[in-house]
Amino acid sequence: MFIQTIITGLSIGSVYALMAVGYSLVFSVLNFSNFAHGAIITLGAYIAWALMVHYLQVPFFPALLLSMGGAGILAFLNERIAYSTLRRRRAPSLYLMISAMGVAISLQNLLYATIGAKLYALPPVFAMDVVHIGELTISKMDIFAFVFSALTIAVLHLILIRTKVGVAIRAAAHDMEMVSVLGVNLDVLVGVLFFIAGSLGGMAGVFMGVKYMVYPSMGWITNKAYIGAVIGGLGSLPGAIVGGLLLGLLEALVSVSSLGGTSLSTYRDVFSFGILVILLIFKPTGFFGRHVEDKL
Amino acid sequence: MAYLEAILINVAIYAIATLGLAIFTGYTGLFSLGHAAFMAVGAYTASILTYFYKVPFFAALALGVILSVLVSLLIGYPTLRARLRSDYFAIATLGFGEAVKVILENFDLTQGARGLPGIPKFSTLGNTYLLLVLAIILCRNFLKTTYGRKIIAIGQDPVAAEMIGIPLLPNQLLSLGISAGLAGLSGGLLAHYTTFIQPSIFSMDLSSLVTAGVVCGGMGSLTGPVTAVALFVIIPELFRGFALWRLVFYGMLLVIIINWRPKGLFGYEELNRKNLPKLFSIAGITGGLSLFMPTYRWVIESRGYEIFALLVAGAVAGAVTVLFGLLGKGLSLALAPVAERYHSLRGRLSERVESTSGELWSEGQRGASCAVRHTPDGLIDGTTALYETARLTPESSKENEAANYTAGTNVKTPILELEELRKNFGGVVAVDGLSFKLSEGELLGLIGPNGSGKTTVFNLISSVYPVDGGTILFRGMDITPWGPTEVVEAGVARTFQNIRLFGSMTVLENVQAALHREGSYSLLEGFLQWPNTVPKVERRLRDESRRLLAVVGLEREADRRASTLPYGLQRKLEIARALALRPKLLLLDEPAAGLNPREATELVELIKRIHQDEGLSIILIEHHMDVVMSLCPRILVLNFGRLIASGTPEQIQKDPRVLQAYLGEKAYAVVR
Repeated sequence: MFIQTIITGLSIGSVYALMAVGYSLVFSVLNFSNFAHGAIITLGAYIAWALMVHYLQVPFFPALLLSMGGAGILAFLNERIAYSTLRRRRAPSLYLMISAMGVAISLQNLLYATIGAKLYALPPVFAMDVVHIGELTISKMDIFAFVFSALTIAVLHLILIRTKVGVAIRAAAHDMEMVSVLGVNLDVLVGVLFFIAGSLGGMAGVFMGVKYMVYPSMGWITNKAYIGAVIGGLGSLPGAIVGGLLLGLLEALVSVSSLGGTSLSTYRDVFSFGILVILLIFKPTGFFGRHVEDKL
Repeated sequence: MAYLEAILINVAIYAIATLGLAIFTGYTGLFSLGHAAFMAVGAYTASILTYFYKVPFFAALALGVILSVLVSLLIGYPTLRARLRSDYFAIATLGFGEAVKVILENFDLTQGARGLPGIPKFSTLGNTYLLLVLAIILCRNFLKTTYGRKIIAIGQDPVAAEMIGIPLLPNQLLSLGISAGLAGLSGGLLAHYTTFIQPSIFSMDLSSLVTAGVVCGGMGSLTGPVTAVALFVIIPELFRGFALWRLVFYGMLLVIIINWRPKGLFGYEELNRKNLPKLFSIAGITGGLSLFMPTYRWVIESRGYEIFALLVAGAVAGAVTVLFGLLGKGLSLALAPVAERYHSLRGRLSERVESTSGELWSEGQRGASCAVRHTPDGLIDGTTALYETARLTPESSKENEAANYTAGTNVKTPILELEELRKNFGGVVAVDGLSFKLSEGELLGLIGPNGSGKTTVFNLISSVYPVDGGTILFRGMDITPWGPTEVVEAGVARTFQNIRLFGSMTVLENVQAALHREGSYSLLEGFLQWPNTVPKVERRLRDESRRLLAVVGLEREADRRASTLPYGLQRKLEIARALALRPKLLLLDEPAAGLNPREATELVELIKRIHQDEGLSIILIEHHMDVVMSLCPRILVLNFGRLIASGTPEQIQKDPRVLQAYLGEKAYAVVR
């Protein structure tokens, strides 16, 4: 039972990690929390729904790739429309957060106004299939989500370490101005950054859609991924992964435990935010976070 | 009529909540994603009290306000503690909203998701508007006090605010408390107007409405957000068919305004005569648009020609728009004489008040004339002037002083002692075992190539960074572990290499903000602008600020927005602001950077003057060698965080280690 819970937690946690990586990537370079990430993830799930259910019967893998691409392009456009002016003007991060909130509100309600509040299911690719190992029953989707998330993050890591763009991104996280002086086109760099973050988000959205449902406010879950990113240390890639996994595990454990007869699963979200508050009291930079200092 | 009343009451209720967020986001620069949760706390507290316990309405409202304030402080304390990162607070408010929802849904007293029906209808047009006006007046009063200026300073530049001794956390919490209190009040009123509340009312949508009001109304204005939220409540009533698109529109508006018109509706200003035409045009356009569809349909029904209908509808919409626009212009013009009379009346009134306190005022005047006398008026070529000032300094006395220091036989007690100070950034050693002493009243130059650790030394003294090793003694006290504001309070003030002023404040307010420790009235007195204390203290602070501006020669610019000052004057304003902290030790970080030769000469005079008149000890970091050489009897040279030389300007100029550090070894060999 305990191991079963751990496995559920790891599978949810890996999806959290995918989303948290998106937050951290953007934060590391632009130094603000992109609250529109949730809306992009939701739209990623809707793209998959449109491709697999509503308009066509595209198989799972092509649909997943197309959703990733679509969400990536949306994230790119999001940056161009809502952030690039502020970025060039070096506006305070408060402005960027407000702009992000505007995008999030707009997109979520656009879904309500056009597609509606109905819940849609993505086809059960192998959601129903289970694997039996001894006494454990594990859904194939959980395994798939975990493995695929891990692989994607590994690829991302390679991109960041090995490719020119990756090196530029890591350098920009250190000092954006210096990177631009060295001849890197910041617009392109930030564009690539948002495309990567968006496509990871799109993937996470599809996984969430298969596991639960597709609905306009599903972006709410990403707030917990954000908490994962904060736990690990905003702006840090390993931090986002560890934080996401940890939060998934803790949530799975809380969901199955009970206190004085009442199940704690109702209070799961409250618990996650409680963790955030406690963490901020004792370790405001998270596990891997760096302390950002203004240059005086 | 009831319909109109409903809209008007809704306007007042949401305006109160918006006012709260205007203080928190608009002025303090912090972000909240879940202000509706504070409204929920106020609403549920007040309703439960009036519904179950028959508590009088206003008492229940007050208790609701108190509880929202307490709750806000509870989540504000841990999350705002993470310095300079308001993102955490934003996400915590979101979580707090969720927590409130879960608790309300699972709590017997709140009757779960079904909500509380049958709350007595106590909110009326009268009491909501009374409370709104009261709230606006109190907020306005508050912003005009030292407490308000502290909050605005933090909103403008938290680092600079801390460096003039304003602690961030307590002031941010104060702002949050006011903000949550107003949200709680608004929630209580809402509950007693709709007579039915359930957890889902206090959703993200409500928070979005309030946020959109603040951003579109202008961050740094009170009446702007109130007006904006009024428009947001009224406009959807005119376009009923688009209810679902309302929030899409708000979101887009947030993005558009923050990107392309961050000043908001009234451009950082309050609703005044000049803004009236703008307001009327907005009303005219929306009114005209809302009439378009009904007119079109009406004409189609009675006549049937589509083009004709379009034309008529267009004409009606246009006419309404133009009419409103003209009305606004006319009203603005008509009010002009009234406004003028009001201003002259106020001017005369304050004149009379000022003449009764003639003592202080004339002192300020004297300071001003003093400064004018000091300002060099000739347009002499800057560089030669510099050399001249260098020559004019009595060399002998300078040499004697320096000889005293170098021999270690200084009679004066040291005001500042650094012992084996160390600071690493990752693998880079920025300050490497630095030790030196500064005597009381000394003017010490600190020079060195770029990246030699000069500014880091300042940052360590003023506690921007924690020290990695060594101690800092200030007037015999070990200030090494102290926080930035404590160091300021002990008597260390500084300026910044990259100017950090409070840009949207006036020049005078920048200095007033730094005088925050001398505003000796309570917060309550400030809220009420208590006539016995507040005006008197404020007048004293204004006069003192004028005096300080006169010292640096900025008295004529007092009412200008600080960000509009030319570069050289901004540097002077930073010095005036630092002087307002009554420092014993002044740290000047490249004050002459970016100044033209003439401005640099003026600056040399200014530094000399404040050094003598105020009896200050000063450390000066500077790359303009002329400035350093003419001002400082003793100079320290840093390289790679180590002290490589110290002595008189002459000794420094001849020192081989200094020449090597500046020129590099090969070039030095050639020169030699």
